[in-house]
Amino acid sequence: MHLLPKFDYYEPRDIGEACKLLSQLKGSARIIAGGTDLLVNMKKGLLAPRSLVGIGKIPGISEIEPVNGGISIGAHLIIQKLVEFDLIRKKLSVLSRAASVLGSPLVRNRATIGGNIVNARPAADLPPPLIAMGARVRLKSRRQEREVPLDRFFRGPGETVIKPGEILTHIVIDALPPFTGGDYIKLMHRRSLEIAIVAVASRITLDGPDGVIRDGRIILSSVAPKAIRAVRAEKALIGERPSEGLFEHAGQIAATECTPIDDIRGGAGYRCSMVGVLTKRTLSGALREAKGQ
Amino acid sequence: MKEYSVINTRVPRVDGRAKATGKARYADDLSMPDMLYGALLQSPVAHARIRKIDTSKAKKLPGVKDVVTAQEAGAVKFGVSPARYDETIFCIDKARYVGDEIAAVAAVDLETALEAAALIEVEYEELPVVLDPFEAIKEGAPVIHEDFPNNIGAEVHQEFGDVEEALKTCDLVRTDKFVNKKQDGAFLEPQACLAFYDPGRGLTLYSSTQAPHYVQRTLAMVLGLPIGKVRVAQPCVGGGFGPKASASTLELTTSLMAIRTGRPVKMAFTREQVFWHSRARHQFFHELTTGVKKDGTLVALKNTCYLDGGAYSSFGIATVYYAGSLLGAPYRLPNMKYDGYRIYTNKPANGAQRGHGGVAARAAWEQQLDIIAADLGMDPIEFRLKNIMQRGDITCNDFNMSSLGMKECLEAVRSGSGWDKKKGKLPRGKGIGVACGFFVSGAGFPIYRSETFHSTAVIKLSEDGGTVNLYTPAAEIGQGSDTVLTQIAAEALGVRYGDVKVSSGDTDFGVDLGAYSSRQTLMSGHAVKQAAEEARRQVLEVLSEQLNIPVEEMDIKDGLVLFKKEGVDFSALRTRYIKEHRGWTDPPSGKHFTFVEAARLAYLARGTIVGTGAYKPGELGGKYKGAAVGTSPAYGCSAQVVEVTVDMETGQVTVDKMTDAHDCGFAINRTNVEGQMQGSLSMGLGEALFEEVKFDGGGRVANPTLGEYRIPTCLDMPNVETIIIESNEPNGPFGAKEVGEGAIMPTIPAILNAVYDATGVRINELPVTSERVFDRLKEEKERRKEV
Ligand SMILES: Cc1cc2nc3c(=O)[nH]c(=O)nc-3n(C[C@H](O)[C@H](O)[C@H](O)COP(=O)(O)OP(=O)(O)OC[C@H]3O[C@@H](n4cnc5c(N)ncnc54)[C@H](O)[C@@H]3O)c2cc1C
Repeated sequence: MHLLPKFDYYEPRDIGEACKLLSQLKGSARIIAGGTDLLVNMKKGLLAPRSLVGIGKIPGISEIEPVNGGISIGAHLIIQKLVEFDLIRKKLSVLSRAASVLGSPLVRNRATIGGNIVNARPAADLPPPLIAMGARVRLKSRRQEREVPLDRFFRGPGETVIKPGEILTHIVIDALPPFTGGDYIKLMHRRSLEIAIVAVASRITLDGPDGVIRDGRIILSSVAPKAIRAVRAEKALIGERPSEGLFEHAGQIAATECTPIDDIRGGAGYRCSMVGVLTKRTLSGALREAKGQ
Repeated sequence: MKEYSVINTRVPRVDGRAKATGKARYADDLSMPDMLYGALLQSPVAHARIRKIDTSKAKKLPGVKDVVTAQEAGAVKFGVSPARYDETIFCIDKARYVGDEIAAVAAVDLETALEAAALIEVEYEELPVVLDPFEAIKEGAPVIHEDFPNNIGAEVHQEFGDVEEALKTCDLVRTDKFVNKKQDGAFLEPQACLAFYDPGRGLTLYSSTQAPHYVQRTLAMVLGLPIGKVRVAQPCVGGGFGPKASASTLELTTSLMAIRTGRPVKMAFTREQVFWHSRARHQFFHELTTGVKKDGTLVALKNTCYLDGGAYSSFGIATVYYAGSLLGAPYRLPNMKYDGYRIYTNKPANGAQRGHGGVAARAAWEQQLDIIAADLGMDPIEFRLKNIMQRGDITCNDFNMSSLGMKECLEAVRSGSGWDKKKGKLPRGKGIGVACGFFVSGAGFPIYRSETFHSTAVIKLSEDGGTVNLYTPAAEIGQGSDTVLTQIAAEALGVRYGDVKVSSGDTDFGVDLGAYSSRQTLMSGHAVKQAAEEARRQVLEVLSEQLNIPVEEMDIKDGLVLFKKEGVDFSALRTRYIKEHRGWTDPPSGKHFTFVEAARLAYLARGTIVGTGAYKPGELGGKYKGAAVGTSPAYGCSAQVVEVTVDMETGQVTVDKMTDAHDCGFAINRTNVEGQMQGSLSMGLGEALFEEVKFDGGGRVANPTLGEYRIPTCLDMPNVETIIIESNEPNGPFGAKEVGEGAIMPTIPAILNAVYDATGVRINELPVTSERVFDRLKEEKERRKEV
């Protein structure tokens, strides 16, 4: 039987109080957002923090707002909102697509975007599209506030650059250049309540409606200790005219850039092959979006 | 057909409201004053000699009220079949799988009980572990039970006709292998129970069980109590599918500690413990050789099967028989040979699960029949129809198809799915497949040798005349037996559905073998029908005496007494009834004499009116060894057509549509019949595409959660078209027979056949994951390159 270990619970009213509290409690406290990762790990006995700091009452960290053509997303926003909000669906459809295949309705209504990022699982659904779109995370502590590009945030499974006492407050995505599109595909055993066997997020920016590819991002998930960029495959796209053949070629390169393992969800060989297929397909999806189709 | 008022309708479930509003109480919801909480200590290793158990620290922990090990629990052996009682409450000398029970604790709260269980110190001397059944039967393999030095716990050899000779006469003979994976029942409610003991009244156990009667017998035998002093009753039960059909250490220890402490004790499994305890579907390794004539006539089948049994026998003796006996039908097959071996391994024990023993065999054979049809250039439906059995046919292993709408089912799914427009005409990546199957409608014999009735029932009319109390020991586990038995009682008595109040699942009400082998609609239904008819007869007899009208000239329907002749004057009786009930509301009026009035007058004349019923099957076929496993008073059957899309790049299979026809004899509740069909299909789809209990090298279950053991979600279930076929079973109450298990039989092979139709590759190993399909497609591509 899994019972929750005992802990003290705090609920600060604003970000200042939260930062102060975290600095006072030092390493013995953990932030709790939706609790969908944290409480599971505590029940399993993997974590036993002496205190939990709930951040649900802090104003200003649960909103989606347009800023300078870009978007700022509060870390405490529940994932279902990413599925529903018009602004995300129109401007960052790749993110709402990823959110829509995360867990189940029950999980999406509790889990937060911030928790999904800080938890840093290699198969997490939201980091790949966010990295593809060049997201940065804003971290606040008692002494300072800093921004880190998301692709430099993760270090390995469960490991990030966040320091004890720091709170992730916002995820910021700058205005995207015109003729940009993205896509995310998560390969799953079943249709819901699944951790990805392999997932790929791609983004391309064209230099005109029928132009060549100016910029490209390919993020591979569930095939390495953290979401990784398929750098050589990305390079192969730049300056080229988009075509099925090009995307197929990029897929083949990407398949050589990952280091999956055999595990309970799938074999390494299959995963590599699927990186190829999903890279090709997400690039096609991204192209359609970039062309406004 | 006769006009019915309550049966063959879609009345809502009797427990629907309570379940939908969250008011229904399951075992873990129960609580009593002074109740203790139990926790088990289970072996962390798969095979070990137990050197020493030290419970002293656990006993000293404040709040702990009892700690029990084999020393306290004793060495009485139990299991499912008396021929293979190979379990004791706790391990005595050895632990045989990860999860084998070592000790238990009862304490004032769950935290304390868990802490105490963790304080018990066990010294294990680890033994070599054997997880693979083929390794287990090799010379020199570790021995799991001393009595079975080669680890073969049971073997079966049967032959009907002469298979070797018959194969020589065939134009086409094929051999194929097939393997499924160990399943988990994955019922929503993990096992839980609450026991309390009163020295005068004896032991009461509320348990999440499918078979209160078997649990009662096992508790009495193992704990040394008179059977009459053991009462087992069900709260609401959240599914079972087989694994809850026998007594477990959970129930035995909870009872033991309740007796020892004199306080109520409750204990429940976690989801992980459900996986460890298991008793779900075996892994089967089949090799089938089938021979046919050029014109498609089936001639012979040779079936060899190795079953991975796990550490104990559980239902496995029956399983190893069923893996042979459930082939042959529903086709006319004159020659059949079967060799089956159930092998002990250091894994959780396997047992019975929906479609007991026959599901993997059916998948293997129906896929092979599809290959044979293609080799003969025949349409798979035509090939099946050519060999199909019909009402009155008897199989070579002596199963009497006293009713069988198999042909009707097959024709219904053919037209319902638009088969003729689709088969052979779909683009690559789209496929359609068909399969058939059948299942018993109740095992012909109890699991222990006895002449006992299989089902009994009591109907007691309330003394005021207004309510019909139905007491049935049958087990409602979510499948809807309370509803169906209520309908049968109402119909047979002639009252309305709402007039019957059902109480069920309690050994104090009599004997019912329980909810397994799809037996209750037929068997419990017979007992209830008989009890209702008996009560009805008594009421009519009193009326007959008082009105001076022969019983045959009266009927009861929809709660009203109907007289064959016009102008019967019952005003004197009505006046008497109204006088009796001065001050009561709703005095009867209108032109019909009511059942309520009649039942009250019957009570005034005779005292409490009670009708009883009891059923056991008549003489069944088969005089050969093992005939008891498979012979049944009736057989239900199904045909299904499945349509799939296969992603040719990823291998991912999507089931787009299922068309299912099932012959249930007669649908007592049409919605419930469809519910069982849909549930069977979803369970079959899960086993076909996703479900597999995995192990690490040490014998630990690697995926003991519903996150990594994947049952289908509603997004994975396609639209299902359900077609009910009614063949009017002569041995069933109102012509009814099973639907609970027969409906799963065709699902897996229909999916496999559709995947083949879409891709051109055959998959001989479940589950059909995208990776497995991808690998097969790649192999096929490479093979073609070489050619
Ligand atoms: C049944 C189930 C299915 C799931 N399916 C998926 C899936 O398909 N895909 C997927 O990606 N994930 C899945 N998850 C994992 C989980 O739901 C997500 O990772 C979720 O987004 C975590 O968010 P949370 O708000 O619940 O985080 P919590 O559990 O509350 O926190 C997670 C971690 O992040 C830290 N944290 C949270 N917020 C902040 C913050 N603002 N600043 C600093 N640190 C913070 C916490 O201290 C903790 O260490 C599933 C989980 C469950 C239980």
